[in-house]
Amino acid sequence: MENWIDILTKTPLFGITLTIFVYAFFVWLQKKLRSPLLNPLMWTVAAVISILLLCRVPLENYELGGDIIGMFLSPATAVLAVSIYNQLATLKKNLIPVVAGCLAGAVTSIGSVIVMSKLFGLDKAMQNALTPKSVTTPIAMAVSEQLGGIVPITVAAVVVTGIIGCVAAPLMIRVFFVKEPVAAGVAIGACSHALGTTKAIELSETHGAMSGIAIGLSGIITVLICLFLQ
Amino acid sequence: MKILLQIGIVFLVCLVGEWISAVLPFAFPGSVIAMILLFLLLLCKVLKVEHIEQKASFVLNNMAFFFIPAGVGMMEYFDVLGTYLVPFLVICTVSTVLTFAVTAWTVTGVMRLQTWILSRKEKQNGKLD
Repeated sequence: MENWIDILTKTPLFGITLTIFVYAFFVWLQKKLRSPLLNPLMWTVAAVISILLLCRVPLENYELGGDIIGMFLSPATAVLAVSIYNQLATLKKNLIPVVAGCLAGAVTSIGSVIVMSKLFGLDKAMQNALTPKSVTTPIAMAVSEQLGGIVPITVAAVVVTGIIGCVAAPLMIRVFFVKEPVAAGVAIGACSHALGTTKAIELSETHGAMSGIAIGLSGIITVLICLFLQ
Repeated sequence: MKILLQIGIVFLVCLVGEWISAVLPFAFPGSVIAMILLFLLLLCKVLKVEHIEQKASFVLNNMAFFFIPAGVGMMEYFDVLGTYLVPFLVICTVSTVLTFAVTAWTVTGVMRLQTWILSRKEKQNGKLD
């Protein structure tokens, strides 16, 4: 039985096909039911993990296709430049607030992780792994490694943080009375990097562009702050 | 053919971003370098938005999709995460919400300060006239 499943899934087409159809189903479901809790990304991840575990498909087999989809992350981040360019006038007008926001956000993110890690009595490797969790995966991995954190934990923390930001963004905008699209966009990018930005893009082009800028700026600021943490 | 060429342009910029990232003395991701490069190319009018519009909107409209495999990869670390599950989830949630609030309020505050300073300047200029 195990062997049989291995043969059927040992092709890149398996991971790609599974991901597309599960994702398409949850996008359809969200359109139908219109609930913010039905975030297609979160549920697709949960559903694909469950399917792999239930059918005992090795993760390596899924990743044959998964890696091909993941390869598009880099172009996806890069084309945010188009949104930023389209919003150039807004950016020029708000350059100082945007930079100030990213700085405050990076300090808050790093500071709150350190304080809470101390409260929970986590060891140094765990604390360092969580420290860069609000920035985009490649930067977070590099920072974590530099600080001596557990890198896989960092990857998990970045993804979980991104999903929280993506799911909670519309709610947080209301709860914290954020009226300016620029402020909301920057905040989404600063707290939940590219994953949160997927939600910002859905809200409006201004949200998406500002969130995209915040990914880059927060990343740079976090790298700089963490140089002093060592 | 048009879309194929657009994909080619974006991939080329990403490739150059990876190269630059590889030679930099510190860790900085190629994708963010590619974003900066692409922005500069648009700003200097080397590239026009129309050159990559379809590819860009395809990727931007489906962005969440590309993150699924990274999320699924998390299952490899379930046993490590299991031991720390509660602090892990509490820290991720509280810190994300705090960061959102502080960032949003800072941006809003500085924006208001900026408009206030501008309006004061205008008033002063008005008086001088």
